[in-house]
Amino acid sequence: MKRYVLLVVALCFLAIYLFPLYWMYLTAFKPSSETFTYPPTFWPADPQFNFLQVFVDKKMDVYLWNSLVVACGTTVIAALIGTGCAYALARVRNVWMDVVLFLILMMQVLPPSLMATPIFVLFNQIGLIATPRFAVILAQTAKVLPLYIVLCRTSFMQIPKELEEAARVDGASRITAFFRIIVPLARNGILVTSVLIFLQSFGEYVYSRTLISQEDLQTATVGLMNFMGPNTTDWNGIMTYAVIYVTPIVLVFMLLQRKIVSGLTAGALK
Amino acid sequence: MSALLRSLRDGRGFDVALAALALAYLLVFSAFPLIYNIAMSFQEVDMFSLGDLVRPFVGLANYRTLFATPEFWSIMSNTAIFVILCIVFQLAIGFGLALFFQQDFIGASYLRGLFLAAWIIPALVAGAIWKWIFAGDFGVLNYMLMSTGIIDEKIFWLSTPAISLYSVIIANIWLGIPFNMILLSVGLAGIPKDMYEAAALDGAGPWGRFWHMTLPMMRSTIGAVTCLGVIFTLQQFDLFASLTQGGPANSSNVAQYWSWQLSFQNYDIATGSAVSVLMLGFVIVVAFFYVRSTRQEYQA
Repeated sequence: MKRYVLLVVALCFLAIYLFPLYWMYLTAFKPSSETFTYPPTFWPADPQFNFLQVFVDKKMDVYLWNSLVVACGTTVIAALIGTGCAYALARVRNVWMDVVLFLILMMQVLPPSLMATPIFVLFNQIGLIATPRFAVILAQTAKVLPLYIVLCRTSFMQIPKELEEAARVDGASRITAFFRIIVPLARNGILVTSVLIFLQSFGEYVYSRTLISQEDLQTATVGLMNFMGPNTTDWNGIMTYAVIYVTPIVLVFMLLQRKIVSGLTAGALK
Repeated sequence: MSALLRSLRDGRGFDVALAALALAYLLVFSAFPLIYNIAMSFQEVDMFSLGDLVRPFVGLANYRTLFATPEFWSIMSNTAIFVILCIVFQLAIGFGLALFFQQDFIGASYLRGLFLAAWIIPALVAGAIWKWIFAGDFGVLNYMLMSTGIIDEKIFWLSTPAISLYSVIIANIWLGIPFNMILLSVGLAGIPKDMYEAAALDGAGPWGRFWHMTLPMMRSTIGAVTCLGVIFTLQQFDLFASLTQGGPANSSNVAQYWSWQLSFQNYDIATGSAVSVLMLGFVIVVAFFYVRSTRQEYQA
């Protein structure tokens, strides 16, 4: 009996906590007249589906495509550079590797809004501003790479050393052993970490806002900011925009929830 | 040469090359901008000298200008209030929820994971949602508080100077709860169950067990989560951009947003980088403690 009471209490906590998300979905479905009624309604009396209209009016295809480019580019570069480093850090334990790990952990904490100033001036000098999305990818990769390495490292540490040694005895070189034995075994960890990095970069804002000046190269976060403006009244449209933007992220998260949570907890405290 | 190649392909060199590749990337795109930033804070940087390689050296002039700006101390105290209040509430609520979900019932770990749905959405979108919830005239928060009789008249959460900072704090606490809860749950799961049974046999009540066992056993976890909390709250930028933009009249401005504003809205890059250097220095000190605390846990 007590367990059911606990379950009900837990559901109440969750409902209170996730109310803002419910409010976003609810507002998106309300017609604009109902959005501005007072007292507000908590269930749409006359549900509207103006998703397509907002999508087209606000050129969300362009914004979402740019966000996708940034997120994919970041994930690919981070995975290419980070996977090997995570493996080396998991396998070799000596003073030098400890120093490398320490440096990487220190570079994980730099706030992007503070790094934006030097990165903008630097990228401006070497001409990277001319390819703004690539510039955002490079900056964002530097931001998420340490997290990627730390999280992947824990999944490499779970692979027994003996498996690699057996392959080496059978004549495989280190490169072969790495690609044929180690990486396939750590596949799950690498995938989940990549998804996490992808989702984070899909919502990137500071660097996109700072480094991209052309409207048609800007990301969905900047698009949302432009939509909001200083004196917003179209809350209905803004929440519709937010729903279109956020729903894929929430769906991916729900599907991989268990794995993301366990990967996150293993990495952050070890 | 061939020995080097063989080492790279098949020996020590393989590990070194893999680690060096990522480290080199981070040195170029994180460490170098960091040092470059320190250099810029001692130079005269404006829109004209932006592209120059050699800029006039001005010593501590940028820092002097910075300390002399009338809003400097209020923004710094805003930053301190923001960080401290966010951490205290995130930690307290997160800890409470972690303890609650530690109990044995159906779906406990699944439901706990669902909290992270708020953490995974872009902070800017979370800011947009909260801006709508906080809205003065039609916002749902005012309606709820008024209909339960907590307040008598509508509060303009984002445009009242005395309240705007606390509105951002509320939104940021909301964002940070799940992460705190999940990390604290890991710490709780690491406490051996039989210790509690032994204590219960010795007659320790639930309060005593929490006070004399859970809290001391959680000390290192709480330390690590607090350090991470400082690091993450100082990274919060999107909420400020979407909720108040530091206004009205800098009443909700914090250092990390101010630095960006100085550089990219006032085009005062030199002062912006001076703020940035101060804050980065602070973050690095906190990170040092965080890394040390996790290392100790790892060795233990």
